Amino acid sequence: MLGAVAAGGARASDPDAGRRKADVACASCHGPDGNATVAGTPSIAGQPNFFTHWQLIKYRDGRRKDPQMSVPAQDLTDADMANLAAFYATQRPRPRGSKTEPARVAEGRRLAQVHHCTSCHRPDLSGQQQVPRLAGQDFDYLLKLLRSFKARTASDLDGLMTMSAQPLGEEDIVNLVHFLASLGADSPEARP
Amino acid sequence: MRRTILASLAVVLGFGILLAALADAQAPPPWKQGQPANMADSTLAPIPQPPVPKAAAEIPVDKIKLPAGFKVSLWASGLGNARVMEWGDKGTLFVSSRTAGNLYAVIDKGGQREVKLLAKGLNLPNGIAFRNGTLYVAEIHRITKMVGIEDKLDSPPAMEVVYETLPKDVPHGWKYLAFGPDGKLYFNIGAPCNICIPPDTHANISRINPDGTGFEYFAHGVRNSVGFDWHPVTKELYFATHARDWMGDDMPSDRLDVAPRKGLHFGFPFCHQGDTPDPEFGKGRSCSEFAKPVLNTGPHVAGNGVEFYTGSMFPPEYKNRMFLAQRGSWNRTQKLGFRVMMVTLNPGGAPKYEPFAEGWLQGNDIWGRPVYTRQMKDGSLLISDDYAGAIYRVTYQR
Repeated sequence: MLGAVAAGGARASDPDAGRRKADVACASCHGPDGNATVAGTPSIAGQPNFFTHWQLIKYRDGRRKDPQMSVPAQDLTDADMANLAAFYATQRPRPRGSKTEPARVAEGRRLAQVHHCTSCHRPDLSGQQQVPRLAGQDFDYLLKLLRSFKARTASDLDGLMTMSAQPLGEEDIVNLVHFLASLGADSPEARP
Repeated sequence: MRRTILASLAVVLGFGILLAALADAQAPPPWKQGQPANMADSTLAPIPQPPVPKAAAEIPVDKIKLPAGFKVSLWASGLGNARVMEWGDKGTLFVSSRTAGNLYAVIDKGGQREVKLLAKGLNLPNGIAFRNGTLYVAEIHRITKMVGIEDKLDSPPAMEVVYETLPKDVPHGWKYLAFGPDGKLYFNIGAPCNICIPPDTHANISRINPDGTGFEYFAHGVRNSVGFDWHPVTKELYFATHARDWMGDDMPSDRLDVAPRKGLHFGFPFCHQGDTPDPEFGKGRSCSEFAKPVLNTGPHVAGNGVEFYTGSMFPPEYKNRMFLAQRGSWNRTQKLGFRVMMVTLNPGGAPKYEPFAEGWLQGNDIWGRPVYTRQMKDGSLLISDDYAGAIYRVTYQR
């Protein structure tokens, strides 16, 4: 709970140091370049620097909780977090190969417009600044997170996602996830 | 009893209306809500908060410009998202944050500042106030206190709940908190939207007794005020309000208001800047129904900290002059604000309104956002910057 804050604040981040830290701390679950392959584990490759950095801060201070992430995040230094975020932002995201149903994808595409997902996550769902990339993200992870936002139990930086998820029914959530997961790194929507 | 039930019903109905509004599948995120069709392609969006503070060496203090005779230095850095500053009785500076969720204590050790982290993981803990050895903290959903905190900086006491019957809406739910001259704790409950008919429970400045009793609304029709102070002589409440977005680069102006008594309505969402009916919600209403601003402070400037100068270091004309820290615009093509203005009230006439500290905005790029001020005992002025995570100190020598 307590501790002196390092005087002087952050130094410029170092993606190479981030890669070295990732190799020992993150790669076993998230893959060597941040492209995870285990269902339920998100890919971090190509996530905006601010987004990853903020999530690590929140895992460490306890605002975001996860059985896999909460404990290892305690061991990350301020520099580790900055470097990891910078490293993953430079990595190219690959599609997760989730099986999606065309009818649900079409309905999810419509819902993403209706619910203004693209206002913050960008028209191609590639994310920006503190807002994560959704295009091509893991199916199970997206499903779990959207349901948690709906249930008001997911950690939110500013309340926007909790609020945005409230109008969604379970069918809407499933359809949105089919759409988002269908966007491979090379699909038109996901191309940077 | 009957009154209690009616009051509870009113609260429930208020939330009900809000939930109904949230259930609208078409509702965009609050920052984008109210955007007209002809602005749908706008790339303007709120400026994201950096996850960590800037290193001292990366903070270009020399870019801050002040009137002749004033000097500015970097007083403390490494305070992520530093917002409101409040002095303890024994010389500790308590510093709040918003998205960082942290609460800091800064101890001045003869030219060096030591920063301690008192609490973390809080729910946008912007508002802090100190009295009789106790620090009060306002998060989105509750007001708590830490008794005897200054003697326990290394193992802070538990945060005891003072008041928690508060809306949980996050948009404009972060609070400013301050003791009024009547000894009550004042705080804002902002509108949970850019523009909407807010529930009766929102868009106000409220007050409670420090023991959590006696809740009452003090001012109505206030979209969101996260900075206020009382005039040192008249003891009247002056407050800054952020006006709505998406009416264009130059409309409407943010406001500075005075509330000499309880119960005034300041126009939101019906009337903006004292003279402009809202294009949607102003229909059938008139600006003459509402209290007029003391000063229109400029479009999208985002006035936060309001503080009357009572010290003696600055020249005599600064006595009782107001500092207004403006965190700066996002909903404007050419950025505006990112400065500390001064307001000299002129009874019976227009206030004098002029820059005090500026330079965080260079062209259309920013490197910091001044957000609150706080005088030091010697009359110098601290300015917090939530973007760089720093505190500056302004001194004067004739």
